[in-house]
Amino acid sequence: MALFIAKRLGAALLLVVGTILVAFVLTAVLPGDAATARLGEQAAANPEIVEAMRRQMGLDRPLYEQFFIYLGGLFRGDLGDSVQTTRPVLTDLMLFGPASAELALSATLIAVVVGGGLGIVAALRANTAIDNVLRAFSLGGVSIPIFWFALIATSVFATRLQWFPSSGRLDAGEIPPPRVTGFYTIDSLLAGDLPLFFQAVDHLILPAIVLSAPMVGLLMRFTRASVLDVLGQEYIRAAEAKGLSPRSVVFGHVLRGALVPVITVVGTAFASLLAGTVLVEQIFAWPGIGSYAYRAASTLDLSAIVGVTIFVALIYIFVNLITDILYGIIDPRIRRA
Amino acid sequence: MKTSRRLLTTATLVAATALALAACAAPADTDTDQPEGEQTESLVIDKSFDLVTADPARMFETTGGIVLHAVYDSLLTFADGDATEPLPSVASEWTVNDDATEYTFTIRDGITFSDGTPLTSADVVYSLNRVKNIQGNGSFLMNGLSVSAPDETTVVISSETSNTAVPAIVTSPTLGIVNSALVTENGGTDADDAAETDTAEEFLNATSAGSGPYVLESFDTTTETVLVANPEYWGEAPVYDRVVLRNATAEAQLMDIQSGTADIALDLGSDQIAGLGGDVVVNTSQSPTMFFFFLNANPEVSEITSSPDFREAVRYGIDFDAMLELAGEGAERAYGIVPSSYLGALGADSAVERDVERAQEAVARLGGDVTVELEYASDFSSNGLSMGPFAERIAAQLAEVGITVNLAPGPIATTLESYRAGTEEMGLWLWNPDYPDSADYLAFGPGGIVGERAGWTAGMAPEIEAVMDEVRSEIDPAAREPLYQEFQELSNEEGVIVPLFQPAASVVSTSAVGDVPYDPVFSLDIAAIGR
Repeated sequence: MALFIAKRLGAALLLVVGTILVAFVLTAVLPGDAATARLGEQAAANPEIVEAMRRQMGLDRPLYEQFFIYLGGLFRGDLGDSVQTTRPVLTDLMLFGPASAELALSATLIAVVVGGGLGIVAALRANTAIDNVLRAFSLGGVSIPIFWFALIATSVFATRLQWFPSSGRLDAGEIPPPRVTGFYTIDSLLAGDLPLFFQAVDHLILPAIVLSAPMVGLLMRFTRASVLDVLGQEYIRAAEAKGLSPRSVVFGHVLRGALVPVITVVGTAFASLLAGTVLVEQIFAWPGIGSYAYRAASTLDLSAIVGVTIFVALIYIFVNLITDILYGIIDPRIRRA
Repeated sequence: MKTSRRLLTTATLVAATALALAACAAPADTDTDQPEGEQTESLVIDKSFDLVTADPARMFETTGGIVLHAVYDSLLTFADGDATEPLPSVASEWTVNDDATEYTFTIRDGITFSDGTPLTSADVVYSLNRVKNIQGNGSFLMNGLSVSAPDETTVVISSETSNTAVPAIVTSPTLGIVNSALVTENGGTDADDAAETDTAEEFLNATSAGSGPYVLESFDTTTETVLVANPEYWGEAPVYDRVVLRNATAEAQLMDIQSGTADIALDLGSDQIAGLGGDVVVNTSQSPTMFFFFLNANPEVSEITSSPDFREAVRYGIDFDAMLELAGEGAERAYGIVPSSYLGALGADSAVERDVERAQEAVARLGGDVTVELEYASDFSSNGLSMGPFAERIAAQLAEVGITVNLAPGPIATTLESYRAGTEEMGLWLWNPDYPDSADYLAFGPGGIVGERAGWTAGMAPEIEAVMDEVRSEIDPAAREPLYQEFQELSNEEGVIVPLFQPAASVVSTSAVGDVPYDPVFSLDIAAIGR
């Protein structure tokens, strides 16, 4: 097992280094001058000011030198400073990362429980009316564009019914709980501030549901197929023949077998959620990595762009690593292969 | 292996419980919202942020101006949306010498900074010199100016050349007066090498060091910035004790204003406003923003656009009223480059009317088959308007007179670069005033910043340049007015810069807050809300 994990970790590390190089080079060759982009009309016309800005941003050095300086900084945990926030990019990532993670994990949770649960129901009631309705539902979840769903959800539940707030992580001007994990739900509980916890959850529900929609549909279809597949296996029939109650057959045998492919889907779907968060965060004014990346790209904030790219790549790689390891735990054959 | 499976099952169970808890929490929360009567004290403003810094000397953006105008007093100010006459602020009065090269300001008695330190002329000198030497976006405001303090209550600003714009320039939030002792203590300097040695920005992003009606409670360039009333403020106290400025896209602002989560929204377009219900107050006026395009006068960039015949063809080929229609309700046609609310703006009697035949004749003189390229930023919008539709309409109108316009949209980061390098054959852009004075628009003349970008260098139009020189040194406003008008009429004649329109600027507020006017200088004068 240790060798298996070590191998995966090694591959992951190589991927990270590759990602940094690609992100850095691609960003550096982007059209547009990051120094003048930062300057206003009158200042950009003054060569002295432009030169001072280029020096300040380190753009006056050759590209390879910039790369090594960047790598050196990286080892010290320094990702450079963001132009838009004037803070170190690492600070920004620590600030906005948990917001996105809280949103993405909540969405995943919703997807696993709702999608997985409904998938099992659909499989157990295969080819009945319930199954047909659920299949249509899952198709909807997968095929509805996320931005459209977000707009409908906000206009109905936030604007008209006013059940949920339409933007932000907390009400305007509310002071966030003392920072421990960066998850407002958890931090508010740790601080013993129950009203703040409810407020945080209230703000979380709508964007999390919207973000989870495609994953719910996907998981439902996958779980249904996987459970059906297992139901057709010899050992299930054997178990039924032994006279086990349907409940123990499902929970004791079927789910265990159906779990492996479902974990893969959760892993890849979680990673693709990160792309979805850019849209959802924009619509719900959610101060996460998605919004941060969007603004960074539109202002040519180079350090922030590279920082976010590395951050997202790390999460991708980490999730894949965890998926692989879980796989190995559940199904020893994979480990030995 | 068994333990692992049990772990997984437990994790799933925990997850399910958490979700159930979260679901239960939803209705419970609406209840907790009820007794919050205090919230009416806070004013919530939605704005799409272009916020970079809370250090006045480094700030030169719209959102930054809104925030810092409330936190830092300047020597003079404008009030009630009137951009024509500077009013006393930190300076209670001022005088100017005959050739407009020396301005003497008297510092008002009894002003203290938010920490209680008295404000003196030394703070003014420090603040203005710091802006000059930090070499940031707003440093050009101090071009050719030097500042001194003969005594504790007098400040003298001297200009190398006659400069009638000084009173308007010193209203800028960039030239806000900082507490020099406090800023120096925290890394600030006004020395010549401030660009390299000043390190006070971080401090000023966390703590405000001004004498304005508000102080910073928290400052964040991406999510929200909170202001609270300054108890030490020398003037009339603001109505709202606490103001929250939140970063939100126009779509989010629409939702927020409808659901009452925000009291004021600043970036709604006319289409969005049209769909709003009756319980909001909409204030619409012309923004001083100017949409324009130019025909590059540099023959090395384009043989075609630098030709006087081409300028004539465009001038009579464009249907300005049709452009205005596209700009939506509340927008105003620009007859010249100086905005309608400033001294010397042109009126409808200077309007050029479309004359297709005349334009076609001009094209014929060019030898027909005229093809040009129009560059614009495709990912940028202002006042709810993006450049694309206007570029398309220009192309369609000019096609009718025989000019083929190839559209060349690009991301602003790249188009801005070629615009500033002066390599665009035709460019579609906009201009926000740097300070509310017609002098700012001399930038569009030959040799000015925008003029240069349009290939219109100094010496190319001696007649216009003579008028520009004259208006720069004329200290009598009554005499300045016809000069600015002449400058624009001649510019329209030459046709290098083609002013299009001033868009509408709207402020939407909930009925609870009431009427909130758009401020043509500061966009929004926070301290004046509710008065």
